[in-house]
Amino acid sequence: MAEKQVPRTQKCIAVLWPSFMVAIVATGLFFSAFDPDDLYPFGEQTEVSRLGIYSIGFLLFWLVSAISGIGTLYFAITNCMRQNPGSRG
Amino acid sequence: MTNPDATGPGAASRSDEQVAQSLYAAAEKIYPRQVHGLFARLRVLGVLGLLGIYYITPWLRWEGHQALLLDLPARKFHIFFITLWPQDFFYLAVLLIIAGLVLFFVTALAGRVWCGYACPQTVWTEAFLWIERKVEGNRMQQQKLDALPMSARKFRIKATKHFLWLAFSAWTGFTFVGYFSPITELGRNLLAFNIGPWETFWIIFYGFATYGNAGFMREQVCKYMCPYARFQSAMFDKDTLVVSYIPNRGEPRGSRKRSVDPVTAGLGDCIDCTLCVQVCPTGIDIRDGLQYECIACSACIDACDDVMDKMGYEKGLIKYTTEHAMQGGKTHILRPRIFIYAVILLSIMVAFAWSFSQRVSLGLDVIRDRNTLYRETSDGLIENVYILKILNMDDAEHQYELSVSGIPGLTLHKDMAVIQVASGGIMELPVRLRAEEGDLEARSSDVVFELVAQDDAALIAREDARFLGPN
Repeated sequence: MAEKQVPRTQKCIAVLWPSFMVAIVATGLFFSAFDPDDLYPFGEQTEVSRLGIYSIGFLLFWLVSAISGIGTLYFAITNCMRQNPGSRG
Repeated sequence: MTNPDATGPGAASRSDEQVAQSLYAAAEKIYPRQVHGLFARLRVLGVLGLLGIYYITPWLRWEGHQALLLDLPARKFHIFFITLWPQDFFYLAVLLIIAGLVLFFVTALAGRVWCGYACPQTVWTEAFLWIERKVEGNRMQQQKLDALPMSARKFRIKATKHFLWLAFSAWTGFTFVGYFSPITELGRNLLAFNIGPWETFWIIFYGFATYGNAGFMREQVCKYMCPYARFQSAMFDKDTLVVSYIPNRGEPRGSRKRSVDPVTAGLGDCIDCTLCVQVCPTGIDIRDGLQYECIACSACIDACDDVMDKMGYEKGLIKYTTEHAMQGGKTHILRPRIFIYAVILLSIMVAFAWSFSQRVSLGLDVIRDRNTLYRETSDGLIENVYILKILNMDDAEHQYELSVSGIPGLTLHKDMAVIQVASGGIMELPVRLRAEEGDLEARSSDVVFELVAQDDAALIAREDARFLGPN
């Protein structure tokens, strides 16, 4: 009941947007240090282009950060609101 | 405008359901009224200038390559006469810090000028609004059209607008990818329907983001997503230029005929025409004071000045001013905060320029062959194998001399007689180092490789490595 207080759209953006920005930073730092050509995922030489590796890397970073964001959202908002119905956390 | 954050005085006594409903309202579309005036003209100039720069720059060339190209596939960033390699990551980081400091400095001086004039979100939203006005008409016509049920005419108009928006977004997405992948090649591939899958993905992704942000989200990006919007006020002080309504002049507000003298009528200069609210792209009332949603676009200044002219009053009922000036004091432009920002900015810029001028455009990486600790040759010498990566980061081709030191009698063997690397090229060179067992002081010795360009002694690189032998 109290979870209705934070709109679902806002929750989605609160997870997806910061994780997007973090993913950009993480991708930039990681691939400045490591050349995609020097990466052998699971020991195999991949046919994927460098741009492809950057893109996949970025999407993976985004996914991982988003998962972290979902965890934060869950622990920060939901529990607080369960204890105090009617509050916004 | 509905205030989505409104909670009435009886909130505590309402049920959860009612409170939830009053706390949240879906964003209503804001129809900013078109405005004309000095700042509107400045903004149009800004929009045209910045968009021009954005769409034209990838097509500029410099010494055989694209002038501004963050070449991700080739892992080089070309910024006109500067070429940065991944090894130069530090310089890129410093450049970004300088950009940030410039933003903070300008914000401390002039408030949110970035938001109102330069921010891509503002710039593209202005362009999209212009297209929308050309297709759907002015504010009133747009509101009327949206209120109508769907019809052939409405569909035609909306379809035209969205088609133009999508085409513009697609071009924007294509140009964006052109900053990261040579645009002439990308263009040729596009015409031949031969673009790589990831380039396609990013063109569509970025095009769609432009379409969504500028077509639909608009001021909601500023209000809910932008990090700068949240921390910009941390750089403000009482001497920062902000857009402000002058309540001493304007209050008490009230409409009156042109012929009426406001002083005798006991009225301030504000005639409550609400034009300042109608032109506001974020839908606030600047007369309530500075709010964080205000992006300082100064549309309200233009609108109000226009009305002041019509009423025969002095311009500037809403204007750029500072908190100090509003309180009747004097604005100090040169103050400690400004000095400190300026000094830090200048020092970092000078340090960067000097450091970059000292940069040696030669890179050397040494990777020891890890398959074996060491080898014994047929002559009884201890041998270690290395792969050297030689990066010629210079504009010209060079031939290099390679030497090694650190162990008495150490010899260097390579298959190639001459080390010649083209400009911007990378050479992988296997080398073998041999030493007498007796000359080795320990199981692991430090050696130093030295690479010098034959025609330029300043182009020198040294790398440490380990030479391993028996106990």
